[in-house]
Amino acid sequence: MVSRVLIANRGEIALRVLRACRTVGMEAVVAYSEADRASLPAMLADEAICIGPADARRSYLSAPAIISAALVTGCDSIHPGYGFLSEDDAFADAVRAHGLTFIGPPANVLERFASKEETRRLLAAHGLPTIPGSGLLLDEAQALEEAARVGYPVLVKPSAGGGGKGMRMVRSPRELAAVLPICRSEAKAGFGDDSLYLERWLEDNRHVEVQVAVDRFGHGVHLWERDCSVQRRHQKILEESPSPAMTPAGRRELAERAIKAVVAAGYENIGTLEFLVDNDGNAYFIEINCRVQVEHPLTEMLTGIDLVALQLRIASGEPLGFTQADVPQRGHAIEFRINAEDPAHEFRPGAGKIERLNIPGGPGVRFDSHAYTGYDVPPYYDSLLGKLIVWGPTREAAIARGRAALAELVVEGVVTNTAIHRAILSSQPFLDGKFTTNLLDRVGAAAFLAGAERAR
Amino acid sequence: MPDPNRTGDRTAAQRQADHDGLARLSETLVPALVSKLNASGLGELEVREGDWRIRLRRPAGVAQGGRRAERPRLGLHLPVVAAPGSGATTAHAPTAQGVAPAAAAPEPRREVATSPAVGVFRPGAPVGTRVRAGDRIAIVDLLGIPQDVVAPIDGIVTEVLAQGGDAVEYGEEVAVVEAEPEKPAAGNASAADAGPAGREA
Repeated sequence: MVSRVLIANRGEIALRVLRACRTVGMEAVVAYSEADRASLPAMLADEAICIGPADARRSYLSAPAIISAALVTGCDSIHPGYGFLSEDDAFADAVRAHGLTFIGPPANVLERFASKEETRRLLAAHGLPTIPGSGLLLDEAQALEEAARVGYPVLVKPSAGGGGKGMRMVRSPRELAAVLPICRSEAKAGFGDDSLYLERWLEDNRHVEVQVAVDRFGHGVHLWERDCSVQRRHQKILEESPSPAMTPAGRRELAERAIKAVVAAGYENIGTLEFLVDNDGNAYFIEINCRVQVEHPLTEMLTGIDLVALQLRIASGEPLGFTQADVPQRGHAIEFRINAEDPAHEFRPGAGKIERLNIPGGPGVRFDSHAYTGYDVPPYYDSLLGKLIVWGPTREAAIARGRAALAELVVEGVVTNTAIHRAILSSQPFLDGKFTTNLLDRVGAAAFLAGAERAR
Repeated sequence: MPDPNRTGDRTAAQRQADHDGLARLSETLVPALVSKLNASGLGELEVREGDWRIRLRRPAGVAQGGRRAERPRLGLHLPVVAAPGSGATTAHAPTAQGVAPAAAAPEPRREVATSPAVGVFRPGAPVGTRVRAGDRIAIVDLLGIPQDVVAPIDGIVTEVLAQGGDAVEYGEEVAVVEAEPEKPAAGNASAADAGPAGREA
């Protein structure tokens, strides 16, 4: 049973978890760093506790500080949000060892899925098609050998972590040798683990992911798919659901195979299976995310199911309480990640005081954000300021609502990336539902923005 | 014209009754309940009487001590009357490390020692102890690993703000050290630095 949750994260996701706790009747304590004392989740919480300085290594990434905070505030569980320690099996195990519940998959499940390279093999054994790739890379010579076997271009990926950190696409042995040390150090800094592996790079591909939920008793459902093909340097910018790349029969088949495989592999709680889909509609499994994802609201808009509440209930030991037939996929939704980044200057992240904030509204419009007028955006963490989510009965209606909502969104004092969202909504590949993961990088974000400006 | 001093349609008698109730609440009932809660070892206490309801609660197992930096609040919060010692705030920003010496003033220099971690407070040097900057004056138990609370300056421990067993957060003010009156014309501008450096040698 879970009745009092320590929220060990910051920003919009801390607020999202706080809201979920309140709606399911669980108490919540927000753990924050000194830099987040005046953040919205800390201010809205009935109880909050400072766990360390701004440096995430001594606060949001410090397992002892977080567990100690949970114990001294009388919590019985810890919600890790996303990023930070959310998929760290050693952390989940330490949480359990202190008699607390980890809101997410149990430690042994996390451990089973901790290595991306091993997870690919495990789920392939349970019937998921995977992309050709390598085992863990040992040294440069072996990496070059493996790359030759997989076939260029290849994608270098960290075995731990996610979010595009430490990932590089290379087209030649020379490029591979050059990026290996960079990827290793980024992986080490981001996830404390520098192991890397290779995957064949599909030139034109779409990123499609399936949301799943499995309770402690092995009952699982899928909650359909999301399309995250609009990316810049492997960072998702805009997501939508359903995927315009999939046919109704194709999406049903992919979702059903995904849930069947993870139930068979012993997964528990909510999770996301990521696939690359090629031009012919073939889907290849690439990785699983054992946590709530940034883009989870898309699924909530289409299914009407509160995923964070579901995550809390599953961790609390409750059965799902519904079946696959109870999971509709109604209408179309788009999520815009509003980042404190300057598209005119290579998406340089910014910080500083938000002098004015106007939040869009109206039917089918949702804004998940920890920002407020007067909020001082700290320079220490990622640049996500909020997520604008729009829903419409059709893709066209959702796009129209997206345009209207983006026009209403005002953020003064800190530069945001809204210009790129307006440009995407007016680009022909997006309107045709044919955006691929490499499009922005191939064209160049600056050229893409200028093109959209001319087309206006 | 209605009397601007009147609030709504409430009669003077009703308002007087409320005032009396509030006075009784703050002067008699709450202190009594607080001492009961402290003595009982319970985590929560709720009392109902007529239209009034009072709930006192402390974090399970541990009371909160020390002085925490103020956290701005927003929204409607649950009507929880906090446990004793909590909620006391101070205008000072948390002083994690030593702060520049105050300008020469007749009052002795005072600095607060802050908690280096979130955990359970264990007292060390009692009030009156003479300490040097960098000395351990208490510890905070972080999952069984003691973290030192250190004296920010040379001086005397004049206040210990937290009690043994209290839950303290990172940066919470837990003790005060006051510099001893300097000998005239000592000219020791670097007094604060001399302590740790001297010990290192």
